[in-house]
Amino acid sequence: MLYALMGLGLSLITGVLNIPNFAHGALFAIGAYLLVTTVNVIGNFWLALVVAPVGVALLGLAIEYAGIRRLYAAGHDYQLLFTFGLALILSEGIILVWGPVGYSYLPPPVLRGGLDLGFTMYPKYRIFVMVAAGLLVLATWLFLEKTRYGAIMRAGIENKEMVSLLGIDIHRLFTVAFALGAYLAGIAGALTAPIRGINPGMGVDMLGIAFVVVALGGLGNLLGAIAAGLLIGVAQAIVAAYWTEASTAVIFAVMAAVLLVRPQGLFGIR
Amino acid sequence: MSRASIAVLVSIILLPLVVRHAIATEIWIFAIFGLGLNLLLGYTGLLSFGQSTFFGSAAYVAGWLLKHYAIDVFLALGVGVAVGAVSALLVGYLCVQRSGLYFIMLTFALNQLFYFIAYQWTSVTGGEDGMAGIPRPALLGIDFKDPLNYYLFVSLLFLISLWLMQRIVESPLGRILQAIRENEVRAEAVGYNVPRFKLLAFVIGGAFSGLAGVLYAMLFGIMPLEAISFVFSGNVVFATLIGGSGSLYGPIIGSFVFIWLSESVSVLWARWPLLLGLAFVIVVLFLRGGVVEAWSRFWLWHSSKQRT
Repeated sequence: MLYALMGLGLSLITGVLNIPNFAHGALFAIGAYLLVTTVNVIGNFWLALVVAPVGVALLGLAIEYAGIRRLYAAGHDYQLLFTFGLALILSEGIILVWGPVGYSYLPPPVLRGGLDLGFTMYPKYRIFVMVAAGLLVLATWLFLEKTRYGAIMRAGIENKEMVSLLGIDIHRLFTVAFALGAYLAGIAGALTAPIRGINPGMGVDMLGIAFVVVALGGLGNLLGAIAAGLLIGVAQAIVAAYWTEASTAVIFAVMAAVLLVRPQGLFGIR
Repeated sequence: MSRASIAVLVSIILLPLVVRHAIATEIWIFAIFGLGLNLLLGYTGLLSFGQSTFFGSAAYVAGWLLKHYAIDVFLALGVGVAVGAVSALLVGYLCVQRSGLYFIMLTFALNQLFYFIAYQWTSVTGGEDGMAGIPRPALLGIDFKDPLNYYLFVSLLFLISLWLMQRIVESPLGRILQAIRENEVRAEAVGYNVPRFKLLAFVIGGAFSGLAGVLYAMLFGIMPLEAISFVFSGNVVFATLIGGSGSLYGPIIGSFVFIWLSESVSVLWARWPLLLGLAFVIVVLFLRGGVVEAWSRFWLWHSSKQRT
């Protein structure tokens, strides 16, 4: 579900803005770091879970406004270089601010320990993450499918010229889409922190996965991102149980295998 | 002989006098790497963000053979070129079916696949520590342990690569690739099998990367994990872009600027990738078109100031 969340955010950004966002992983990492810092400062996990992703969204807003906005006319090569440079700045910035070593971080007391599901014990926090991520995906889906602005956003993925001809401020749409994508990355990071701990390399690892999800699911394709996220998550869990070393490589192997059969991705039309 | 090739020759002679031999050698190796990318980026219009896949695979395979089977230099280079080409064939086959953003993302994702294999397969690659102890055997009685000899050898290979690349770019194949860059639909309509030609460009680019990879591994005697990471792929894209893609000599200039800067700054500050990122952002926002354009803009500004 976390993968679906990441993929969804990236898919929105890639689909609407038509740029390769290599800073998506760094936004994810910053979400996790912000969560831990906010918890340490205000001492309330739930409040921090609200605050941290908003901080990431604001950061995304600033990035779009100050940099990416000026690059829509430039080629993908320069956009890539920009977001890649940004990713380097952000991840090195993390090391500068929070130090190079990772921390492990415990979930709030309520969610510690396991829950007896009858057939197996399962960590409470993981169940919480699954539910929370599921709700977020659902909320994003409702927003995109059922609200007016969501419809405009989907139209922006399909045909930008047409949308701007209809009198809609396309630049504001871009900014909103980037901020929303950043928010989703941030909250995915924040939710991950208690499971895997935080370390400066977490962003890069996630970035590759997010790209795989988007490539599998199709650009701007919500259902595709969810399905691809689940597929990859399950494949990774299965392989991790039998052959731990290969659990990361299998993500990319699954992608390669799917793309051999369906070059356009699971639900892709383009 | 053109002015550009004279400039290259002169800089080959002057470079080891100015900087350390290892850096000078690295510059030409990186230039070979850049030449391979530029065939894709500058001439075919394919932005590959996974060039270190081929660079790294070739370096690992040839490094392993050098280390455990003591193969000679020519065989190592041949193996490197072959591994680079074959890995590019595999990756390219998956990637060329898509275009635009998908293409970039796929090259990146497959780069990550190779990275994680190298990261986990510690018994062969050494994982995070890198594959150490790669020898630099002598060739025809010439001792390559002498840095200057190795420098000259790399320079020679670079000149051969440059000459080859020039031939490729100016050949009918090169023209077709440029036609694909200019207008893919039209190239298809004229009757060229566009994916096939893209794949061919990929394989050639991979072969050049493979050559660079083996030379790199032999230069440092170690194949670090970073050299197969996506950051390394980004570096070569950056070097090519600051040099100016689409010109044969662009990646060479870029390689100069990039290696020289990174080698001098990385000694000063461990967090130098931060500055690298800043440099990327600044170049993209203010200096698009690379060093070559910035230079001509400077002269334009200079001469306009003199006139007033």
